[in-house]
Amino acid sequence: MKTSLKLIFPAIICCSLILFSGCENDDPEPENVPELITKITLKFSPVGGGDVITTTATDPDGEGVQDIQVDGPINLAKEKQYTLTLELINGLYQQGQDGYDVSKEVEEEGEEHQFFFSFSEGIFSSPTGTGNIKDNASSTVGTINYLDEDVNGRPIGLSTSWTTAGVATTGKSFRVILKHQPELKSNTSTSLDGESDLDITFVVNVN
Amino acid sequence: MQLSCNLKKSILILSILVLVNFATRAQILCSNRLSGHILDEQRLPLTGATVYILEVNRGKVCDVNGFFEFTELCSGAYTIEIKFVGYATRQIKINLTKNERVEVQLLPDEKLLNEVVIEDHIDLVSKTANSQSLSGVALEATSGKSLGEALQNITGVNTIQSGPAIFKPVIHGVHSQRILILNNGVRQEGQQWGADHAPEIDPFIATKIVVVKDASAIRYGTDALGGVVIVTPAELPTDQKIGGQIHVLGATNGRSGVLSGMLEGGFKNNSGWGWRMQGTAKQSGDMHAASYNLSNTGFKELNYSLSTGYHKGNKGFEVYFSRFNTTIGILRGSVVGSTQDLADALEKEPPQYTEPFTYQIAEPRQEVIHNLLKLTGHVRKGNDLFNLRYGFQLNNRKEFDVRRGTLKNIPALGYDLYTQTLDLEWERTLSNTHTRAVGMNGLWQDNNKIDGTQTIPFIPNYTSLSGGLYWIERLSKDKWDAEFGARYDLRFYDVVGFDFANKLYRTSYNFKNVSATAAATYQFTSNSSITSSIGSAWRPPNVAELYSLGTHQSAASIEYGLLLDETTNQVNELSDIDFNSEQALKWVNTYRYHKNKFNVEVVGYINYIFNYIYLRPRGVTQNVRGIFPYFRYTQTDASFIGSDILIGQELFPGLLLQGRISLLRAADVTNNDYLIFIPPNRYEVLLRYNNAKVASMTNLFAEVKLRYVAKQTRAPRVVSIPTILEAKEQGIDLFENDYQNFDFVDSPDAYFLTSVSGGISRPFSNSKMELRVSVENLTNTAFREYSNRMRYYADDLGRNFSIALKYSF
Repeated sequence: MKTSLKLIFPAIICCSLILFSGCENDDPEPENVPELITKITLKFSPVGGGDVITTTATDPDGEGVQDIQVDGPINLAKEKQYTLTLELINGLYQQGQDGYDVSKEVEEEGEEHQFFFSFSEGIFSSPTGTGNIKDNASSTVGTINYLDEDVNGRPIGLSTSWTTAGVATTGKSFRVILKHQPELKSNTSTSLDGESDLDITFVVNVN
Repeated sequence: MQLSCNLKKSILILSILVLVNFATRAQILCSNRLSGHILDEQRLPLTGATVYILEVNRGKVCDVNGFFEFTELCSGAYTIEIKFVGYATRQIKINLTKNERVEVQLLPDEKLLNEVVIEDHIDLVSKTANSQSLSGVALEATSGKSLGEALQNITGVNTIQSGPAIFKPVIHGVHSQRILILNNGVRQEGQQWGADHAPEIDPFIATKIVVVKDASAIRYGTDALGGVVIVTPAELPTDQKIGGQIHVLGATNGRSGVLSGMLEGGFKNNSGWGWRMQGTAKQSGDMHAASYNLSNTGFKELNYSLSTGYHKGNKGFEVYFSRFNTTIGILRGSVVGSTQDLADALEKEPPQYTEPFTYQIAEPRQEVIHNLLKLTGHVRKGNDLFNLRYGFQLNNRKEFDVRRGTLKNIPALGYDLYTQTLDLEWERTLSNTHTRAVGMNGLWQDNNKIDGTQTIPFIPNYTSLSGGLYWIERLSKDKWDAEFGARYDLRFYDVVGFDFANKLYRTSYNFKNVSATAAATYQFTSNSSITSSIGSAWRPPNVAELYSLGTHQSAASIEYGLLLDETTNQVNELSDIDFNSEQALKWVNTYRYHKNKFNVEVVGYINYIFNYIYLRPRGVTQNVRGIFPYFRYTQTDASFIGSDILIGQELFPGLLLQGRISLLRAADVTNNDYLIFIPPNRYEVLLRYNNAKVASMTNLFAEVKLRYVAKQTRAPRVVSIPTILEAKEQGIDLFENDYQNFDFVDSPDAYFLTSVSGGISRPFSNSKMELRVSVENLTNTAFREYSNRMRYYADDLGRNFSIALKYSF
């Protein structure tokens, strides 16, 4: 026993010294960050032709402290029908790379995503009301003219239809929310279900 | 080992006594019986205590339940002496005229305890420490629970919780990286910076859990600003006999089951060698609040440990390996994407995503594996004792979040943390009254992100190397025991991580510090003593405090480390900012008094922490997901003042009434503000009936425990989410010039819980069967606990029936 003890202690110390001496680390590999949305583009295309009205919101620092930059206002014409398409971009990828176009992913996973909209009353003749974003469980909301649907036939909202009212207004609000509703999206799910992937309010003028 | 040695000694003494007894016995014919029950300071049976009747030279050793019995005693006056290692010997006088039953309580003799410890290897708790322990029956009552939950039974220890399965111990108001946990002597190193990262230890390995409430940096190293938790397994056996234990537990809340087993023994023809193996399996489904299911709060655990060692004479060594493996679900309804979501979640009851009961654990969840390999050795030469301890730990943590599509199958946060520790200590006994200990601690640590998480890492990779040297002098004279010590530490960090733009940064820096302590115990009489200790402790900042970047989903807040620039978010160098390591000065006093059937223990403390690092609200930021309040790690001076009170009185033989109170006031001194998640004051009353022997059964008990937890009135102001959102809409930054702490909702109301339990044992010739049944939250009260982060979303646990069987052989 005595000899083994005599051997064990120095052995432990030697091993420890070797292990403790550490080793120089190589640089770790950067991660792909597919869930980040750094830029959202709203494209209002007049039905029957005309100039496309484009507005963007950009968040250059992601989780960083800087506020999102919301451009605008969105200047729409009176009594005109528009198709609104939404583009979501992850600026940490290069254009053309997988992951750059987040809207494509949202479309592919349409059965667990939905866009919700709210707007100041009176700016649109269709849809009427103030949109389908709920303030709380008991609030009643209107409908949105969704132009796309998921595999279950439920709306997604990457493409929607809007007709402006006949009255000119300025400084009105237009809010877009993208909800992630895994296993929650249903015929009765609302803007209060799931987690927000996106929630931005723009300013709208109708001229 | 200590115990079994002493047991052997006792048996030897007993055999001699019995022989002597035989020689003198048959002289007078007498028929009185004297039986009794020997209890320790917590009124738990003292197995192996020796009882000796001086007048007739007869002795007995108490059985596993603390019982002894003498028969054929003549009527007359006797002096009975009761001895047990580590306890003050007691003599009682008794006038025997008929059959008598006595109950005697022994109290620890701190001087004696220390001497015994010196014989063997160095004890981790010094006699001048303000400490409290959980062992024996009290520890068994917590079996099946997690370490943090079990520790709540020590006055002054609370928990910070993240749902029903994640408990972190809070000692006197501080937690996480300010509490040191010694697992089998080795400092536990996991990702302890997270308030939702529970200690990775299976309490079934322990026969004793000690909480040292001092700022005990000297002996144990950095970080022990609030205290130390010491988890100690039993010594390895040295005799050949194979023994073991089997625990089977079941509970209704969570429909959970626990199976734990232990087997130990010695080796044939190899005296001094012993071995032990132990394992625990646990599974629980969704827990239940008073009126709804808590979806995705199940957990499962599979742990085991193996050890073998040699101990004989003045030397010994041991090899120990343990593995802890857990998967813990986190309440699904606590996942929020933005402040607006949080506002919605605060309103919803039952929480969003509440589904029927299931054992399935989906996202969000944590998967943690902790491996520990430990080698220890000690040699005693004359007055010198040398101790060596080497530990290797690998902590693997993965946190899965609710993510888009297939991303949910890969962890959003994943780290492998490798830690090696080496502790050397030399203790010299200079005289009967003077001991000196000198030691060193080394620590090497390497933290690596698990590749492929597809998120910017929340904390960076790092390598750290630390070294510490200490010196402790221990003196005792008459009624005094005193201890003085000083320590020097150095820690080096090499950090490499990614900033908000996913760009790599690399840096290195070091910290050094001196800390000191002084403590003394004065024994007024054999009934009362006072211990006072004043100690300084420090800790270098954790990388999480320096570099954190990102959102904690269940808190709907963005967190930034100290080194992240306030405007550009770039990572600064440590030398560019005004930073000082955290330093604590803690003064703790314990007064103990016990007489006959009454005992009281009062602890009073002040812990002043300089440069206390905490998350402070600094503003509101908007990103594509919405509006978020953001928090930045900041430094301030904080104070924690409080008291722990324990009072016990035996009302009638077998009926014990105990009261426990823990009071705490914590404050951010610099900003004259309150701190968040400080456990509210709590009051407990316990009524316990013990009946040592009922027919062929033993240790019948029934217990009622009432707990009242006050509302935390010293909580930060409330700034509701609508207020934050409205202000932001109007372009006002609520936190621009007002950095006061805040909470989204008011602290929960006070609550009152009742629990009852009962049990009985059945001894067999070489084994024992124990049964315990209990009901927690008997009235199925709906309540929320201030220090549980789940309080924002759901009620705490409803009624729980549980049954536990233990078989030991």
